[in-house]
Amino acid sequence: MLATENPTPQNEIVNRLDSAVSEVFEMMLARSCNPMDEEVSIIDGRIVARIQFTGAINGECILYASSATAAVTAEALLGTASSEPCDPMVDDAIGELCNMIAGGWKSKLEHPQAGCLISVPAVSREGLVGLEGKFGTKFSRTYSFQGNLFGIMLAF
Amino acid sequence: MRALIIDDSAVMRKVIERALRQAGLELTEVLQASNGEEALQALRDDGGKPNSLALILSDINMPVMDGLQFLEQRRDEKLAVDVPVVMITTEGSEPLVLRAISAGAQGYICKPFTAEQVKARVVPLLRVA
Repeated sequence: MLATENPTPQNEIVNRLDSAVSEVFEMMLARSCNPMDEEVSIIDGRIVARIQFTGAINGECILYASSATAAVTAEALLGTASSEPCDPMVDDAIGELCNMIAGGWKSKLEHPQAGCLISVPAVSREGLVGLEGKFGTKFSRTYSFQGNLFGIMLAF
Repeated sequence: MRALIIDDSAVMRKVIERALRQAGLELTEVLQASNGEEALQALRDDGGKPNSLALILSDINMPVMDGLQFLEQRRDEKLAVDVPVVMITTEGSEPLVLRAISAGAQGYICKPFTAEQVKARVVPLLRVA
């Protein structure tokens, strides 16, 4: 549960995340994006974008994807073809995607949680090493758009 | 028309420019800045040009100088104060919106957004500007 006086039920946290992801993909990428029924192990979750929540909530929204999925996502967001997997614009796009999803999720919270602050995105290509054991409470979801998988972890 | 887009993400600056073109705006030049400080300098450099800016779009959450600080500094320096400013941000909380409006923003768009939403909020400002 979130570190606040009024814990939010787990299914609401996840439902709000699903809704935020769907909205970002439909509005900004003109794609549908759906949660997988079960969490799928993303072996090459090399690119990781992180947004920190501070204030009424302390935690992070962490988006992880393979280089190939990240490149496809960047293409869809930019509306251009063929981003190279190491193109700096790919990291930028993944960071913005995480930013919009984190912001969308936050906007669906109620007072006082909705008043938390969010950081600018930080993007690395070092995978999830060292992150998974860092938090007490985690909610992980795997999403698919056009067969491309990526994961999101809300961690508090 | 000329516009200034302020966002620390180069991807988002491209996305916003594309949305403006999809909204039917005929952009002859798009100035870009990655934070408020760069934007203030762009406005100082642009002062006195005959074909003045018609629109400023700014993110809020940026390193170096954020969008709210940019608005306040722009007002204090009286830079392009007659140019409408629309904030485009993931931060849609009421206190931030009110602070942005009191600092001189005329419009507010939350990310994610559609080209239709951009058109609906931007075009009326251009007509009255």
